[in-house]
Amino acid sequence: MLEVRDLKVSYSGIQALRGVSMNVSSGETVALIGPNGAGKSSLLNTISGIVRPESGSVMFEAGDITGARAWVVTKAGVLQVPEGRKVFGEMTVLENLQVGETALHGRAPTYRLQDVFDVFPILQERREQRAGSLSGGQQQMLVIARALMGGPRLLLLDEPSLGLAPVIISQVFDALAELKAQGLTILLVEQNAHLALTASDRAYVIEQGRIMKSGASMDLAKDPEVTALYLGQE
Amino acid sequence: MSGIIAGYLPLFDLYLIHVGLAFSQYIVLRAGVFSLATAAFAGIGAYTAGIFAVNLGLHPAIGLLAGTLTGMGAAIFLSIPLARLRGVYQAIATVAFIQICLSLNVYSESLTGGAMGLNNIPKTVGTGTLFVFAALATYMIWAIERGRLGRAFNAIRQDEAVAASLGISITRHQMLAFAISGALAGLFGGLEAYHAYALDPNQFGFHLLITILSYVILGGRNTVLGPLVGCAILIILPELARPLAENRMVIYGVMLIVVINYVPKGIVDTALDAIRARRLKMREETVS
Repeated sequence: MLEVRDLKVSYSGIQALRGVSMNVSSGETVALIGPNGAGKSSLLNTISGIVRPESGSVMFEAGDITGARAWVVTKAGVLQVPEGRKVFGEMTVLENLQVGETALHGRAPTYRLQDVFDVFPILQERREQRAGSLSGGQQQMLVIARALMGGPRLLLLDEPSLGLAPVIISQVFDALAELKAQGLTILLVEQNAHLALTASDRAYVIEQGRIMKSGASMDLAKDPEVTALYLGQE
Repeated sequence: MSGIIAGYLPLFDLYLIHVGLAFSQYIVLRAGVFSLATAAFAGIGAYTAGIFAVNLGLHPAIGLLAGTLTGMGAAIFLSIPLARLRGVYQAIATVAFIQICLSLNVYSESLTGGAMGLNNIPKTVGTGTLFVFAALATYMIWAIERGRLGRAFNAIRQDEAVAASLGISITRHQMLAFAISGALAGLFGGLEAYHAYALDPNQFGFHLLITILSYVILGGRNTVLGPLVGCAILIILPELARPLAENRMVIYGVMLIVVINYVPKGIVDTALDAIRARRLKMREETVS
């Protein structure tokens, strides 16, 4: 479904990605794990068009979306949930969700308002409240829900657990599991490797702008190197 | 009684024209563009309409349409270089644009009358026409605000990167906001031309820029009521304090400083926030 080939990205001379190749098949949840500054977010931002690559290609289904602008990428159904719970704070929950519909660009919605409320019931309760007044966990749910309103075929998730309490994180990941069960394809960036490997089918380990390892998440969770570096010894 | 009303009619006419200009300023701010070019677009619209009537002797309806279109055209043209700038740089560039328009106006004396202004424009617009156009403009802004377009503008203003990641084209939407702004300014500039007999080039300079910006900042930038109220206050107040009317600009300046410091969201937005907070509190109290 998504095919990234030999992607290179640099910011004012500093190489963030040094030739990354990876792919995501329809219906899969794929995780990118790795330390801070490894290039996980750069990869996500390049796929979604926020960052333009130096070389390499990004193919989505039959189309080439390499270097396309962010709003054009959404037309194909590739939707990113940005890092850091970026809700539109002055708007109500409902208005945030309505803005999310923009990404449809005439495509048929895959999630209607009620479907989104079924996944995140708290948002229905708070629908008239200003998004800025929600708790951190609720805001994270809202940004995921907002992306769902845009009919994603591939959902890019950037650090959904960042800065959330453990009990809230498990709520968010329960919701992700539900979306996965409904057939949504997800590419997940996560610093919390344990969480990422539990929630995904396959994973890539990325370090200093390169893919170091890849494989089934279950296998990676048992890999001695990965356990030592990212999961902590038990 | 009717004498008193008649006495205040010119003030009401001024209000109706300036409401249109205030909305022109409001809509670009709404879309996250810090453009101050409304005064220039109004000048372009006014002179186009004036020239159509004086030099070409055309019907006022055609003149108004031409004023609207040239205002819009200038705005779309200006939006292209401005798309590369942000924030205060947009403001500086648009102030420069106003100065360029003023200079061009003075240089093209044969067409615009230069520093002498454009005179003997037939007065074809009265309070009724102004009221209809001001009402239409208010309705249009209200409709935009409630719709998809208004939400897209809000999204861009609050976070451009996120808006783009949700499928909103920043360039297209800001160009659209400019087009609406330019068309409104052009139209109300044209109405001013047909209402005032004469046009003076300095009428559309820095002074007007500050005046229009004050309406929106004082009133509020987030609801259609903001510019309506801001404009009313700033037009009525100097009249109530007649002896101070000469010092209108001083009053504007002082009010702006006070408002920016103590009610930065503007009068209407602050009041609405307070009402909303009270309602929420009352609802919570009835629940518990």
